[in-house]
Amino acid sequence: MGLITNLKDSISRVTDRLFASAEPKRIGIYGPPNAGKTTLANRIARDWTGDAIGPESHVPHETRRARRKEGVDIERNGRSVTIDIVDTPGVTTKVDYKEFLDHDMEKDDAIRRSREATEGVAEAMHWLREDVDGVIYVLDSTSDPFTQVNTMLIGIIESRELPVLIFANKTDLEESDVQRVADAFPDHETVPLSALEGNNMDEVYDKIAEYFG
Amino acid sequence: MPHQCTNCGRTFPDGSKEMLSGCPDCGGNKFQFEPSGSTTDDEPAADSSADSSPDASTGESVTIDPEPAETASADRQTSPPETEGFGDDNEAGSAEPAAAAGESPAQSTARSDVVDSSEITAAGAMGPSTESSEASGAPDQPAGQSPPTADQPADGQPTDGQPAEQSTPAAEQSTSEGERSESNLDQLRKELNDQFESIRIVSPGQYELNLMELYDREEYIISLREDGRYVIEVPDSWGDS
Repeated sequence: MGLITNLKDSISRVTDRLFASAEPKRIGIYGPPNAGKTTLANRIARDWTGDAIGPESHVPHETRRARRKEGVDIERNGRSVTIDIVDTPGVTTKVDYKEFLDHDMEKDDAIRRSREATEGVAEAMHWLREDVDGVIYVLDSTSDPFTQVNTMLIGIIESRELPVLIFANKTDLEESDVQRVADAFPDHETVPLSALEGNNMDEVYDKIAEYFG
Repeated sequence: MPHQCTNCGRTFPDGSKEMLSGCPDCGGNKFQFEPSGSTTDDEPAADSSADSSPDASTGESVTIDPEPAETASADRQTSPPETEGFGDDNEAGSAEPAAAAGESPAQSTARSDVVDSSEITAAGAMGPSTESSEASGAPDQPAGQSPPTADQPADGQPTDGQPAEQSTPAAEQSTSEGERSESNLDQLRKELNDQFESIRIVSPGQYELNLMELYDREEYIISLREDGRYVIEVPDSWGDS
């Protein structure tokens, strides 16, 4: 009897520990190219770990491979939330090397970059299917949010019933229109921010803890 | 042999089902695709040195599509039926020459539809042949496995969308049937693209992506080559059956 009791106790201890120390949620940062995903990922990573995730650039498709930062502890209201951040390449339905030629790039480099960017989109979509527990969807609030890509991706995320936060980025720019973003996705919470300037990051972290904690 | 195990180098014909459960020899689950004529055994491996090989007549976009229906369609809710489904619709399919064992002719045609040899040759010369992906008329295709399929106008079935695609300089096509329904064929071509392609190479450096298809597929594209070659990773679970 004592043996069984002990066994029960130890099993219950193990299961308690399993559930208590649940794996960190893997949060994918998704969105179209040049929305500021890497800037946001870097901001979060720097704020809480001191390291950056990857280089930021105004050239589209700077991020061509998903990059991960694991074990980012975000403290809110006395409790700590641990997430893994996955910064993904911008998702788009067309990649054209010509758009890189405007950025002082040689044609060969532009073509290579285009190919890598395309692979990156494939990778991002693969991760969305396989490997994320929640999504931060970053939009440039100076751009029209009603695009095919946005609609499709949000639709996929909804179909997977993943928790999602919409981040209306670039609020530091004059043309920013957060309301337009909120109107585009009324079923989801929209958080305004400037990842570049660090504006409204408190609310950003509150919402991350609330949604993904 | 279009598919090759990246581990042991074993090759498989296009449409082979053997690879679906991993390489029978070594169990590897990474394969690279090398479009080629059905009878040619060109370069054994897909190293990039062969990028502009004119032999790659069936160079195409990335349809990571050995035979997805068996394993992948089960959880596919959003896209139309895959290979097998299309074959069902395609009632006139009997006249097709068998492109490769186990591969639906519609599938092979659809895949060959995308990039023709002029674009592939241009991959070296960098002549973006067209703005519109359509009019790249390149009649100089060697007798690869798929072009003959596409060039069969007689059967009058939808898969002869190929002539329509290349119709601008149609001189070398026997288009008596092809002209008949160009708009239908355009429509069909679009449907085929929608169904089969996850990444379409319009020209070197220009891609169109079918996000839903990329999302739906279990296979994961690792790298692209300009001539339509690609490397995919198939899920481990494919080897479990």
